[in-house]
Amino acid sequence: MEEHGPNLHDLDPETFCDYVHSFQFWFDAVQGYLEDRSYGHRSDTPTKELDEKSRDNLITVLCNYCVGETMALEGAGGLIRVAPNRATKIFLSTQAVDEGRHLEILERRLTELGVPRVGEEIERRASPKLFEFHRHLLAYVDAGDWNKAIFAQNVILESMEFASFYTHSVHTLETDPKTHELLVGIIKDERRHIGFGQNELARRIAADASLARELAQVRKDLDPLVFHAFDEVMEKTGAPRDRRTDTGRAYLQAVERLGIE
Amino acid sequence: MTDFLRAYSIQQWLESAPQGYLEDTQYGHAAGEKEPAPLMENDALREQAIRSTVQLVVGERCALAASSGLINSAPDEGSKRFLATQTLDEARHVEVFTQRLVDLGVHRTKLEDVIRLHANPNLVKFAELLLEQVDKKDFIAGVVGQNVILEGMAFHVFEMLHAANKDLNPKFGHTLSGTIADERRHVGFGENRIGSWISQRPERKGDIERMQREMSYYMLATFADAFRDAPDQEEVNRLRSNMRRDAGQENPEWGGVDLAASSPEELEGVLADTVLREFKIRLERIGVEYQTPLRP
Repeated sequence: MEEHGPNLHDLDPETFCDYVHSFQFWFDAVQGYLEDRSYGHRSDTPTKELDEKSRDNLITVLCNYCVGETMALEGAGGLIRVAPNRATKIFLSTQAVDEGRHLEILERRLTELGVPRVGEEIERRASPKLFEFHRHLLAYVDAGDWNKAIFAQNVILESMEFASFYTHSVHTLETDPKTHELLVGIIKDERRHIGFGQNELARRIAADASLARELAQVRKDLDPLVFHAFDEVMEKTGAPRDRRTDTGRAYLQAVERLGIE
Repeated sequence: MTDFLRAYSIQQWLESAPQGYLEDTQYGHAAGEKEPAPLMENDALREQAIRSTVQLVVGERCALAASSGLINSAPDEGSKRFLATQTLDEARHVEVFTQRLVDLGVHRTKLEDVIRLHANPNLVKFAELLLEQVDKKDFIAGVVGQNVILEGMAFHVFEMLHAANKDLNPKFGHTLSGTIADERRHVGFGENRIGSWISQRPERKGDIERMQREMSYYMLATFADAFRDAPDQEEVNRLRSNMRRDAGQENPEWGGVDLAASSPEELEGVLADTVLREFKIRLERIGVEYQTPLRP
């Protein structure tokens, strides 16, 4: 390996997969956006005062994000033993730490916003549909169903998170730079996770067309939960209609790349 | 408890490990470091290095499966997050030791065959005992098995290997020093976290003591196989002495013994006694009575 990693274009497909799933690749990738940051933001990032309504809405949104990140942490951790080879086990280990980091910085932000008992607040404010999604995901993981679990976690859940974070980050650029910075860092991780899920499943679908039908059923079960959760949180926080449309569209664009109807 | 867990946050981990002692490393060592030429040029030395590295891969695969499997059964968010960092530490160890097999000349397509061929059956049994607890989602037994027994054993094995290799093979020595730093953190978490849970669940002590006794037996059996039945041991020792002499290095010491001049039985004895003595101390700290294992 060269000093700054190999030239990816020179690698044969097997070595390429090994390398892009490695700790070393993760480490090089995250260094760029985690170095010199504490709990996801720079020390000189300004904190803007939020009015009471905006603060309360932000707390609701962050509580729902925390449920998503907890299920992703448990899902990634549980899937390591089911993973078919060493490279995918190592990738999922990097994902487990990413998800743990997201949970940590989001909970920290809740504390900064003055939430005294974060766990209780999450239970109180989170959408029940997300807890239902959590049960579905862990059932796939516990059953050792690699394809369905990776689809539910790295495609559907990650696309849901990506869509929410992306739309939210656009709207916080001026109003809440600290939250914006956290979200931008998280989005970079999510892109890596979605890419892994899509690559892993695309190869399997190419080899066995019946898999697409199985995954379509998973999507049929989980899509309504995703849209219900979007609606519920946006209703509670009074989000404008165009933001709801943008989030739904971003989710569909991300999840449909795999071609599962 | 919250203050204790703060020391095991992901932010702390990022600053101390990836952005701390792992910064500027590649697969655990400095870029450009290579296995020593005399080792690569001699089949007996290279084979011995491959056999011992396979045991490290097997142990780390077990630790990876256990720490990731324990995330779901962890009772609080802070422990889940710590276990996520441990999961990635263990995955890194799997990666760096597997990479060492490749560096030692094992072709990537043959890795699984080589690991299957050399994996010590007693170490595999040791791993199975631990993973049984994880599969049952028994968090207390799982953390004692993983963070006190397995990590306690790994810590001393790595220290002994580090002492034997740091001058002779700086590349491997550097890889080991990073893993030792990780293991120290893992052992600390097990001790700190488990004591309070065991005091709340005294009825669990019996099961945990039985597990410790059984896992300790398989650990000792693994050591016995590694030291007593290693092929070409005399030849390997002679060649390593020659390498040291040519480099003008002194014999390494660990645990009060000369690692180069001691017999395999003496080395097995000092490693086993050190690990068991530490088990006793650590188990007492968490309120579990150490059980003397049978000697293989």
